[in-house]
Amino acid sequence: MGQNETAHPSADEVGGGDEEFDPIGTLTLIGIYFAILVLSWLFIYYIEFLGRDLVVVG
Amino acid sequence: MHIHAYEKLWLAASILLILLLIGSVTYGAVGPGIAMVSDTEPAIDAGGLDEDERFSEPRVEQVGENEYEAYVVAYQFGFEPNPIVVPENSRVTFYVTSRDVIHGFEVAGTNANTMVVPGEVSEITVETDEPQEYGLLCNEYCGAGHHVMEGKVHVVSQAEFEEQQSGGDGE
Repeated sequence: MGQNETAHPSADEVGGGDEEFDPIGTLTLIGIYFAILVLSWLFIYYIEFLGRDLVVVG
Repeated sequence: MHIHAYEKLWLAASILLILLLIGSVTYGAVGPGIAMVSDTEPAIDAGGLDEDERFSEPRVEQVGENEYEAYVVAYQFGFEPNPIVVPENSRVTFYVTSRDVIHGFEVAGTNANTMVVPGEVSEITVETDEPQEYGLLCNEYCGAGHHVMEGKVHVVSQAEFEEQQSGGDGE
């Protein structure tokens, strides 16, 4: 949201610029989903999968 | 073309995620050496396992220093040998085949897991650690007794393994 708080609409944005549109909620949600995805991947691959016994090596 | 700053942010995040996925699979292959079930074994006659030098007498055999090979036959409804006894801290290659229908070979709770197809030999190599008892089960529906088809994999100490080998084979 920050970058637009003090911005004045310039001439080329009069026709419907999207800089005023800052879906901070969506960004936050995507951030949370992203963190869940990364953490679960790290857990599933490095801890659950590689941490199990009898890893197939050939 | 104009792209919103947030749009750029989550585009970058998804590219990062893809790199992380590819990166960890590459790490798995290069670091711990994760491999696939080998398909290099030639086909054999499922009806003639009695004459096959490896599978007529399913067993565990030492083939090198700390290297062992286990020849396993899956059938309706069990595994041979049972239990499969292998020594600790060694590299064991399982050669598994079936003499009747398609079975599964899954050492429960571990990554050692392959399909067992009659006429084909599934080859998986694993490294054992401490002495431990694992359950072995069939994970492909193979008939009326599928649910009772199970075996055991015993990882035992070197001394216990040698004792078992010399006792069992009369060597």
